Amino acid sequence: MSVSVLVVDDSPLARKMLIKALPPSWDIAITQVGNGLDALAAYREGGVEVMFLDLTMPGLDGYQVLETLRKEGLNCLVIVVSADIQPTARERVLQMGAIAFVKKPVNAAEIQAVLKEYGVYV
Amino acid sequence: MNILTADQEEGLQEIANIGMGQAGASIATILDEFVVLSIPNVVVLKPGEISRQIVNIVGDEIVSAVRQAFHSTFRGEAIVIYHYHPGENIADLMGYDPSVDTIEEYEIILDITNILVGACLGGIAAQLGADIGFSAPSIMAERVPANRLFSAEEVGTSCALFIEVNFALESRNFSCHLLALLPEQEVQILARAVDQFIEKFG
Repeated sequence: MSVSVLVVDDSPLARKMLIKALPPSWDIAITQVGNGLDALAAYREGGVEVMFLDLTMPGLDGYQVLETLRKEGLNCLVIVVSADIQPTARERVLQMGAIAFVKKPVNAAEIQAVLKEYGVYV
Repeated sequence: MNILTADQEEGLQEIANIGMGQAGASIATILDEFVVLSIPNVVVLKPGEISRQIVNIVGDEIVSAVRQAFHSTFRGEAIVIYHYHPGENIADLMGYDPSVDTIEEYEIILDITNILVGACLGGIAAQLGADIGFSAPSIMAERVPANRLFSAEEVGTSCALFIEVNFALESRNFSCHLLALLPEQEVQILARAVDQFIEKFG
């Protein structure tokens, strides 16, 4: 059974770069959205198991998405993928329930290590 | 004006995003404050449109500005625009007495500019696999209306690439805008580098 993955980033290029960095042998069904509101809508439809979430987005940003998910009872693994590499940004998203923070430009080995750590890719 | 394709513009925005993140982290470390970042703005403008674009971004305010040239495989000029009395609000974070005089305020904004431009443009050049060098920063304007900061004659080409990123401290009344301006002939060089980036990573 494929793992349901949601990729949230306002930049189509950034989404492409991220998807390219995912393990090729990982059996996944990918949905892509370009903003926070669409991310919440996709999440609320149910079934999302892993969410890759950008922070700096127009409208609802990644922090606001995380905050909303937390209020609604976070029920998926959120990996934040951001160019905002301030240590405080990392601390904040981990406190808000993200399982990991991956800096841009994404590194395939780093993502793979996170996925293995949480047992979603073996 | 379309001297960049939609793909190149999008690529450059993501590259600028990474550069901005590195600059934000540098300034956050030095000031020990959280920096709020916004989405980079990438647009090609005619020289006559630059001044209006600056007012759109910073508002109709009194500003000071520092300029710093950069030279890589592409050349251009970075301008960091500061809102009125920028030094006062962060003087203590930089080790100064809060009642800074004009000379100290210059020192502060020259230092901040150097850090932001070096990290941001350095980050952009690194993504593109290019080396980059910088001139010393210099005061461009001191407490002038934003609409008088830039004159079209200064660009000297038919159009210019305008990349803007915004940095604001979360807990202080301090924000600034970093602009990178590249004349038309340099944009073509940059565009080719962006194409190679997209080909490699996109």
